[in-house]
Amino acid sequence: MPRKNKRTPRAVRGGRRENYRRGKPKPCAVCAQGGALDWKDASFLRKFVSDRGKIRSRRVSGLCPRDQRRVATAVKNAREMALLPYVSIR
Amino acid sequence: MRDYEIMTIHRPDLTEDEIEAKITELESYLSDSGVSVTKRELWGKRRFAYEIDHMSEGYYSVLSIHAEPGAVDSIDRRLSLADEVVRHKIVRPGE
Ligand SMILES: [Zn+2]
Repeated sequence: MPRKNKRTPRAVRGGRRENYRRGKPKPCAVCAQGGALDWKDASFLRKFVSDRGKIRSRRVSGLCPRDQRRVATAVKNAREMALLPYVSIR
Repeated sequence: MRDYEIMTIHRPDLTEDEIEAKITELESYLSDSGVSVTKRELWGKRRFAYEIDHMSEGYYSVLSIHAEPGAVDSIDRRLSLADEVVRHKIVRPGE
């Protein structure tokens, strides 16, 4: 006997995954500050590196393409001047 | 003319007074070569994120300058040759 209130399969409902990132996307953390980025500010840059010292991916950092690139360069500059580690064992 | 920032790390075995003197020396070298220093920041002694030549800390300072692009090469060379400078970096601000 067929069920009466059979739910429409997800794929049929417009093809969009629901309950996933609804509403406005979160603005990029650098854009949110007016776009200024200082490679000398190690404590700010630390937000974008893992505790092992690796640069977080765009997916994790939530940065826009432009700022992901700028943050990566800033982290590299900061590393050269020993403000941030290349690798850290913790 | 363009804006640049010069960050230097001086050896940790120097005294605060010696650092002051070295930075002042660098500033006069800069003004003698037609470069204007717009800002001077002495951060003091700071711990490195990793060891550099068996040193775990150094004196950081940042000079903001206004210079011809050609002047940067000679500043860079001078800093590379300075024994008391552990590391240095010259960048365009906002880069
Ligand atoms: Zn952004």
